[in-house]
Amino acid sequence: MPSKFPMHDPQNIWQSQTTEPFKMSTTQLRLRAQQNQKKARLKAQFSIVIGLVLFVLFARTFAKGGDVVPRMGLGLISLWCLYFAYQAYRWIWPGRLAPDAPLNATIKSYRSALEKRRDYARHIWRKSGLTFCFLGLALVVVPGLIQSIDHPGLLTNFVPIFVLLTLWFVAFFFISRRDRRKLQREIGELRAFETENQG
Amino acid sequence: MSQDSLYDQAADAYGASLDRLARAYELDPEALRDLLQDIHLHLWRSFAYFDQRCSLRTWVYRIAHNVATGHVIRQRRVRERLVSIEDIESMPGSDQGELAASQSEALERLSTLIQRLKPLDRQIIVSYLEGMDASSVGEITGLSPANVAMKVHRIKNVLRRWFGEGELHAK
Repeated sequence: MPSKFPMHDPQNIWQSQTTEPFKMSTTQLRLRAQQNQKKARLKAQFSIVIGLVLFVLFARTFAKGGDVVPRMGLGLISLWCLYFAYQAYRWIWPGRLAPDAPLNATIKSYRSALEKRRDYARHIWRKSGLTFCFLGLALVVVPGLIQSIDHPGLLTNFVPIFVLLTLWFVAFFFISRRDRRKLQREIGELRAFETENQG
Repeated sequence: MSQDSLYDQAADAYGASLDRLARAYELDPEALRDLLQDIHLHLWRSFAYFDQRCSLRTWVYRIAHNVATGHVIRQRRVRERLVSIEDIESMPGSDQGELAASQSEALERLSTLIQRLKPLDRQIIVSYLEGMDASSVGEITGLSPANVAMKVHRIKNVLRRWFGEGELHAK
């Protein structure tokens, strides 16, 4: 017997909602594909250019000379900028659709997407090369700090930035650890479903 | 069959369902339009590889859900607030109490519920609302029919609470 109150029947409510007839012509589809490609390329190009410009700036300062340790730091940072540009090219540059992507059941596709997120969060320091960037920064800043020990006034100028940096590190550490745990738990649940299905 | 004619066939047969599916993942009209276009674009591209290993319907829904799920995953702030159907079922007082006064209010209530769900549960509830049986949902999601049945049972419980005892599935 059909429900006397269609608005209390969720399937009825869902299926009777107004939908717009939507279909794209081949020309529209090709145009959209081109637009997506262009957008992704622009994003990649922007990051690559930023990386290269920073590389040139740091490399110039490195070439100007000065103390050995800060120069090493500047060299390291400039190399990291090059690496950043390369990573932008590698990750943001638009790729092709994997031929087997649509064959995957949604649970597998969802799990793979979560695993990618988890792996990125787990290896963010290695993959983004941030370790080298911070090492370079330390090599630039620490000699200056040591010299300023004799001038405590100068040292206090650095306090706000160090407080902010420490807070950022702590927040970054805790937030990324919490995210990874949540992701891992959800991946585990999805894997359990998949294993059950295979068994 | 060519890529273009497969796409035409799929868009004609499932266009309205795809529109509803996209609404289950995005409420903002502009972002919804973008998502829908992306789903159609991926669908059209995918037909270059369509080898009839599964039915056209399964293929279409898999791609649509995969694209829409990717859309949700990219929104970190949204993703962090999502819960499972089991969480909603066990939340005391999560039901809406009074019955919806109009069709549009009921639809809004249903959308609110769907938007709170994690992608896998969202895929199942959307498939259920589209009237699919457990084996079709299983084929699309990759879940076993037993798991689908268990999830659907929970979905029905929650919907019963949200849409009034006794009125749900009197049919």
